Amino acid sequence: MKLKDLKEKYAIVGVGYTPQGRVPGRTALSFHLEACANAIADAGLKKNDIDGLICYRRFRSLLGEPEVTPYFLAQMLGITPRYLTQEANCARTHLFHAMAALEMGLCNYVLISYADNALSGRRTFTEEDTHGEPPGDLLLYGQTGFTADYAMAARRAMATFRTGPETWKEIAVAQRRWASLNPRAALRNKPLTYEDYYRSPMVTEPFRLCDACLISDGGRAIVVTSVERARDLKHPVVAIMGLGLANPSYDVHQSPSLAGPTGAKEAGRQAFQMAGITLEDIDACQIYDCFTYTVEITLQEYGFFGPGEGESWFKDGATAPGGKMPVNTSGGLLAEAYFMGLTPLSEGVMQLMGRCQDRQLGVKTGHKEPEIILVSDNGGVLQSHCCTILRRL
Amino acid sequence: MSGEVLVPHPTGDTKEFWEGCKEKRLRFQQCTACGHVRWPPSNLCPNCHSFDFRWIEASGRGKIYTFTVYHMAFYPFWEDKVPYITAVVELEEGPKFLSNIVGAGFQNLSCGTPVEVVWDKAGEYFVPRFRVVG
Repeated sequence: MKLKDLKEKYAIVGVGYTPQGRVPGRTALSFHLEACANAIADAGLKKNDIDGLICYRRFRSLLGEPEVTPYFLAQMLGITPRYLTQEANCARTHLFHAMAALEMGLCNYVLISYADNALSGRRTFTEEDTHGEPPGDLLLYGQTGFTADYAMAARRAMATFRTGPETWKEIAVAQRRWASLNPRAALRNKPLTYEDYYRSPMVTEPFRLCDACLISDGGRAIVVTSVERARDLKHPVVAIMGLGLANPSYDVHQSPSLAGPTGAKEAGRQAFQMAGITLEDIDACQIYDCFTYTVEITLQEYGFFGPGEGESWFKDGATAPGGKMPVNTSGGLLAEAYFMGLTPLSEGVMQLMGRCQDRQLGVKTGHKEPEIILVSDNGGVLQSHCCTILRRL
Repeated sequence: MSGEVLVPHPTGDTKEFWEGCKEKRLRFQQCTACGHVRWPPSNLCPNCHSFDFRWIEASGRGKIYTFTVYHMAFYPFWEDKVPYITAVVELEEGPKFLSNIVGAGFQNLSCGTPVEVVWDKAGEYFVPRFRVVG
């Protein structure tokens, strides 16, 4: 069995949303349950159809709540899945696990979920960051959190090829424009100009606040099954056309190639090889955007432009509504909500199903109606990368 | 959190390193089979999988591989110290080491700037930080 043999054999058939943004008074569990129940119903399935459950990374619980382990989630969903797993440290292998469980005949319908009450619970994403040094020793130097680590990656990139705020402002502004079309987006009513971007406070240089993703309350879930089964369900079939995975693994403090090649290069190569297409065939991108720079390095590694050519490639709203290549059409992690890889992945699915209302790619936004969408997921600090190509059959 | 003193937390792997720091000696493990100098410490050479190593004393000289300037602190101890700089220093002997850049010459830092170790008292230890050379 080769990856290529799995081309368009599996599909994503349901998406579950919850209230999102700042939603006080709710537990992480409640968001998981709502997202999962909604995804199952959206697919037109019953809870007992679900025989696989995969959770995104488990975090320390907040506000004195119990940890939402997949056991606890399964129990509270009232299901006893045959296959059940959860990532510990952001290795973005969820779709591979799902497809493997389906391919082995272990499962028919796999549910993938992420939820958190990170905003109300004031999660800072500092304790969640992991390195080779003991956490107490990192405090000696004041090295805390993903923002500084990604800033270090971006700084090294600035020393290696032409990049910096001139490039990143385009990404921040374009995604804010998409967010204005999405009623679910946290920053839908907060337009961003280039001037606003430069006025945004420095956090960890070279990153400003506007370069960083949101911290969100809420959740998101999807259901994965075979294309064969998907044809009997209610939505247009969105198949997994290509898939690629790489885990460079190196801590950002030790990486031998901080400015590339990153995992996106190898994962992208695999996904395009499996799909048998080229960049020319891509109608839109949903790129994991924990920081603006992550969007640039990912698209650069996928080959949309050469190192340092991002500034001209992104210029003048190229990725915004009406631009040459729509990117992160929900507003993304920067402007919609942070649900890890499920923010970009679910948006890719919804666009291909044609369910995105005002932001739906097509005549309304000045684009071609999408058939193929490129999606990325990225874990750790550029330590894990999954590239997914979706196609509407 | 004024008055808080941050001190190293030696583990089974880092104990030797911090013992050296008590005497202002910056030491790393060198694989005796292939010569690879590694950080963080461990019992296995990631290059050749030999378990044999010795501790060597580094010159304390290196260059900035990358760095960031914190304008916002994410831990109380550092709140009154912003802006401060953390950097990955690439040492002459090879390892990359996360630390701070301290002292004068903040403004003109870049990847590649030569730096050298300076020692900062923390309890019974000295913590290695770096300053720009010259």
